[in-house]
This record gives sequence, structure tokens and C-alpha cells, in this order.
Amino acid sequence: MGSDATSASKPLRPAIESLLRFVNEDLLADSKKKVECDTPLFDEGWIDSLKILRLIAFLEVAAGKKIPDALIVMDRFRTIETIAKNFLNQ
Amino acid sequence: MTIHTAFESKPLHPDFLITDDGLFFADAAGSKLIHALDSKFRRMALAAGSEERKFPTVIAEETLNRSEYFQSFPGYASSVIEPSRKGRYFLSPAVCYHCYELLKSSVLSGETLITCCGKCFRADSADDSHLWEFTMREVVFFGSPGFIREQRDAWKQHILDLSVRLGLSAEVVAASDPFFGAETRGKRLLQQVREFKYELRVRRPSGKDMPLASFNLHEHFFTSKFDITIKSGDTLHSGCVAFGLERWCMAMIEKHGAEEALRLVENVDDLR
Repeated sequence: MGSDATSASKPLRPAIESLLRFVNEDLLADSKKKVECDTPLFDEGWIDSLKILRLIAFLEVAAGKKIPDALIVMDRFRTIETIAKNFLNQ
Repeated sequence: MTIHTAFESKPLHPDFLITDDGLFFADAAGSKLIHALDSKFRRMALAAGSEERKFPTVIAEETLNRSEYFQSFPGYASSVIEPSRKGRYFLSPAVCYHCYELLKSSVLSGETLITCCGKCFRADSADDSHLWEFTMREVVFFGSPGFIREQRDAWKQHILDLSVRLGLSAEVVAASDPFFGAETRGKRLLQQVREFKYELRVRRPSGKDMPLASFNLHEHFFTSKFDITIKSGDTLHSGCVAFGLERWCMAMIEKHGAEEALRLVENVDDLR
């Protein structure tokens, strides 16, 4: 089941595409696991305590502003789509 | 009855006091209340199917090393210096570490719940809610990831309901441990985003919040570190719920007074 963002008929918006590429090709470079826009990111433990910091750093650069620790919660970080919606205005 | 101690202390309430070094003293009513609270939590743990275990107040350095305690919480563990003993020991910072040592290299036949109560010591700070020495009742669970999350979430709701019936204005909030070390912020944020830890917190008359209980998921951290597996061969996770008995005592007395607090604890239904 794909979401709108993963649908073949719709091109991915650039910010989501860039985030998806970062997660799959950088964060998960050492893993066989690859995610899609609607894959739960934190259910299986692929993202460890260092990777979450790299993810936040990537988002802060992409968004051009700091992300307060209080906003780093599951409701805002569940999937690539959720993150993009909350932090990249997508 | 006035409480006398040999240590500097500030009077918090006629029924209990905390010394400047974080030692808790209770009068007869406060002591009775702590026993009543533990009886209630113990009864709930046994009703949920827990086996009960008794552990020492001291814990082997090796157990804390294996748990990476010193990396995560440097300066928290109080050492015990006793040259006549063979091993190196610390005062236990939590009761559940003994459970992992107990089950080290074992194969569980199925889902397992253990309850234990003991004295714990954390030397990080001392104030009107952070005690150096306190009493902790815990329920530790082992099973599939789904079972552990179900247990944790059921306990969370159950204890929140209990706090309401006990007349406490408490809430359950997502929390994180005060990690230290190179990966401090990452560990804390990962714990926060993955909802590994919740706390039941109550607002004190001083206006400060005080955690009364925590509800924790460990994933495979302890089962991997201590090589604990399950007969089915499935992934084995652990989790725990922990109650700080002195804090419950303080919260109940501050809210109701000792007599009414005891009446409530002894009479409020604790069945699920």
C-alpha cells in the first residue's frame, strides 16, 4: 500500500525525495532495509541514537532552523511523510 | 511524633522529612502508609501473574558493567567498600538489574513476570523528591515485543486509574532518562520518540512535579546483554514498571494527610 507520495503516478515533491534519499542512502546505507514514505521509521530499531541525531541535523539544514527537542516525538516522526509535513512544510 | 535524625534536614511535613543528603525518615503513620502502598502494588503484581523474588541491596559491579550503567549514568551508583569481600559491589541503583543477572544465559519457557522490592540508591542529587536512598517496587516482564508493549500500556492505564481513585491529580507523560556520555542527546531523543518511557507525575504543593512511577520498554537491550532467550526462539524483549514508594507516601500525605491517605490506600479497589 503506497501513499500519495509513493504513488508511481505522482512525482515526489523535492523535499520528500531528498529526505527519502538521505534516509535510504545515508542513514540506512549499512542496512538491507530500505524505507518508503509511509514506512514506520522507528518500529524496528533501524535508527539508533547516532542516526536520530544525523536525521535531526539533516532536517535542521533542510528547514533552515533548529528543531526543539520537545518536538521530537512519535506523532511528528512516525514516517518520512509525517516528518516532511511537520518540518519541511510538505 | 517529632522525627529526630543525626543529619541536617529540612522539615517538609510532620509525618516525614528528608535530610540534606537525601535520606528519608517517616513517622509511624508514614511508615504504615509505605507498607500499605507496597502491599497494594505487590498484590497487583501477583494478580498479574508475577513470581516474587528477593534480591540483595548491593549489586555486583559486573552486573552494572554488563548493563552499561556506568556509561549511561556516571556518578549515580554509590560504591560499597568492604575489603573482606571477594567481589566489588555497589549499592543497587534499581532492583530490576538483579532480574537480568538472575536470568543470565537462561532459556525462558514462556512469557515471564517477576516482581521484586528493594532499597535503591542514586547519588546524583538530593532534593525534596530525589532521594539518595529509596524503596522501589518493580514488575519486570519478558516476552514478545507485542506482549511487552501490551503489559507496559496496561500497567500505565491501570496505575493512572488507581491514582485517580486515590484522589491524586496525576498525569502520565512521555519521559526520558538523564543519560550522560557521548551519545547522551541521541539516546534521550530516541527514548522520547520511540516512547520507551512514561512517567506518572503528580504536582506537589510546592508547584514542582514529582514522578511516582515509570513504565519502561527496554526492547532487546537487557535480553541481549544477559543472553536471555525464549524456548520458542522468538525475539525476546523486556520492560518494567517501577514504583517509588517514598514518593507515593509523600504525595498521598501531602494531598490527604496521613490518616486519610492510609484509609484510602487500604480501601480503594486495586483489581484490574
